[in-house]
Amino acid sequence: MIDTHTPHSTNQPRRALLFACGNTFRGDDGVGWRIGCAAEQQLRRADLTVVMTRQLLPEHAQAISAADIVIFVDCSAVTAAGTVSTIPIQPAERLPHTLTHHLDPGSLLRLAHDLHARTPEHAVAITVGGESFEVTDRLSTTVKAAIPKALEAVRCALCAALVPGTVSQTC
Amino acid sequence: MAQTITIDPVTRLEGHGRITLKTNDAGEVSEACFSVTQVRGFEKFCEGRPYYEMPALMARICGICPVSHLIASAKACEAIMSVNIPPTAAKLRRALNLAQTIQSHALSFFYLASPDLLLGMDADPAGRNIFGVAKAHPELGRAGVGLRRFGQHMIELLGRKRIHPGWVVPGGVTEPLDATKRDEILALIPEAFANATMALAAYKQIAIRFQDEVESFANFPSLFLGMVSDGGRLELTDAKLRMIDAEGLVLVDNLDAAQFDQYIGEAVEPYSYMKFPYLKSLGYPRGTYRVGPLARLNIASHTGTPLADAELNEFKKLAKGPVLGSFHYHHARLIEILHGVEVIEQIFSDTGILDKHVRATAGVNRQEGAGIAEAPRGTLMHHYKVDENGLMKWANLVIATGQNNHAMNKGVLQVAQRYVKSDKLTEGMLNRVEAVIRTFDPCLSCSTHAFGQTPLVVELLAPDGTTLDEIRRS
Repeated sequence: MIDTHTPHSTNQPRRALLFACGNTFRGDDGVGWRIGCAAEQQLRRADLTVVMTRQLLPEHAQAISAADIVIFVDCSAVTAAGTVSTIPIQPAERLPHTLTHHLDPGSLLRLAHDLHARTPEHAVAITVGGESFEVTDRLSTTVKAAIPKALEAVRCALCAALVPGTVSQTC
Repeated sequence: MAQTITIDPVTRLEGHGRITLKTNDAGEVSEACFSVTQVRGFEKFCEGRPYYEMPALMARICGICPVSHLIASAKACEAIMSVNIPPTAAKLRRALNLAQTIQSHALSFFYLASPDLLLGMDADPAGRNIFGVAKAHPELGRAGVGLRRFGQHMIELLGRKRIHPGWVVPGGVTEPLDATKRDEILALIPEAFANATMALAAYKQIAIRFQDEVESFANFPSLFLGMVSDGGRLELTDAKLRMIDAEGLVLVDNLDAAQFDQYIGEAVEPYSYMKFPYLKSLGYPRGTYRVGPLARLNIASHTGTPLADAELNEFKKLAKGPVLGSFHYHHARLIEILHGVEVIEQIFSDTGILDKHVRATAGVNRQEGAGIAEAPRGTLMHHYKVDENGLMKWANLVIATGQNNHAMNKGVLQVAQRYVKSDKLTEGMLNRVEAVIRTFDPCLSCSTHAFGQTPLVVELLAPDGTTLDEIRRS
């Protein structure tokens, strides 16, 4: 495992970065954007920057290197529909041989380390299992119903990382 | 014994292509062809649509250079409308086109080409990619990623989307610039300058190690076509075209979009879906030519910006006349990045850039129109015909990469003859054959993309089809 985290000075404000990933025209794949919007509007944290993106790109590495926590919110095509999962992310040991047009979270953390010699102290992926990926801008009922739980997972991750000791009973 | 070597697909370029090399009985490469194996079709399926939809529709041709298609298409529409766009709209489009050029050139040089240059043509292909560059040369990796981020962020600020922005429309742009966005763009300029100048300095040191490739990578006399302003200044958005020969003699000058098809013909070959444009007066293939950064810098006498002018003067010392070696496309690309940053700073430092008059309106006043712009890879031409209601009857597109088609084929042959020994194939040998294509930074698909170390099988076949040698890349 690579040692990548260099803490910021304790008197610096801590910074959170949330990548809301997905394609809003492919059904449940747009749930990441919905959660990103909800986080921006409902959590109202000055220390949180939300980035809406269809793909994770090498160009995101710099912003990641400057954050204390990074959260990747996306739809999962693997887990059961509507299931909210919080998965710790570590920088990838090895980067892929192929760069197409996007990166996975672990590879992006690794690239942030290689380019900028720093990665966030905390990195998690919060996913919602998808049900339908047809060409539509609507979410399935199951996935739409999971948004409040996913937003709560985002809030818990932020609290745990940015204000240690303030995690509520619900987290 | 005559043999055939196939490289399929060619990697680290935009789109899908195949290279076939044939050897003679002495084992020397005697023929080479670069085949583009995919079909587009935009010219056909736009028929029947309103002309004013064309910029947004045609921009979908490419995810790397949609801005060039937007601009060439909007210009063709403006020819149909018979309007001149407001000066501020023209400046904003020029800035947008330069932002796209910067991000595209950064992608080409740093992401696709620099792994060969920094890690070596013969390096392990598993690590010969942008990640390998980031690990071994983080300062150059940061510069490359930073320049691409600069160009893309600027496109997003102006056009609301990094890819396929809808801001450019027939008549100008949809909305004026506000001061907040202008200030944000200006704040990004110093870092972009630092990255561009650092990359240029590094490249000059790197290129010294590749003299053999400099000499053998598509290095031959040819014609060059590119946009140039009155007085010979480098211009990528609003000017006319000039064609020069290998000695620098001007063959065609002040060519505008409406005259394009009078001078330029398009040949086809049975082995590729990509066309072979040529100067009609010289015929095919004698009239084939090169476009893109190398052509533009060969044609322009100056850039009009101080830092890029100093670099251009140095660049022109590489040869007595036009620089003929295609390896120098890399150098030219970096100079254009620097030039782009300088021009963007000039444009956004002008207070008039916030002017609210950014769109002209009109209906159909002509039933035919053509538009040209310089895409990152070279001259791009859109030509449309409409009916009296403005519905599309016909379209023809001459894409930059196609205009380098003959030169790429010739370059592949030159490199293969220099490096490929048919008795034993090596990955590095074949990588050089691919690398000569990468100097041109071709975009073969224009609407679909594949690059990186995609699976590759290279087979050496005997005339009877027997496999004599094979390399697999997974």
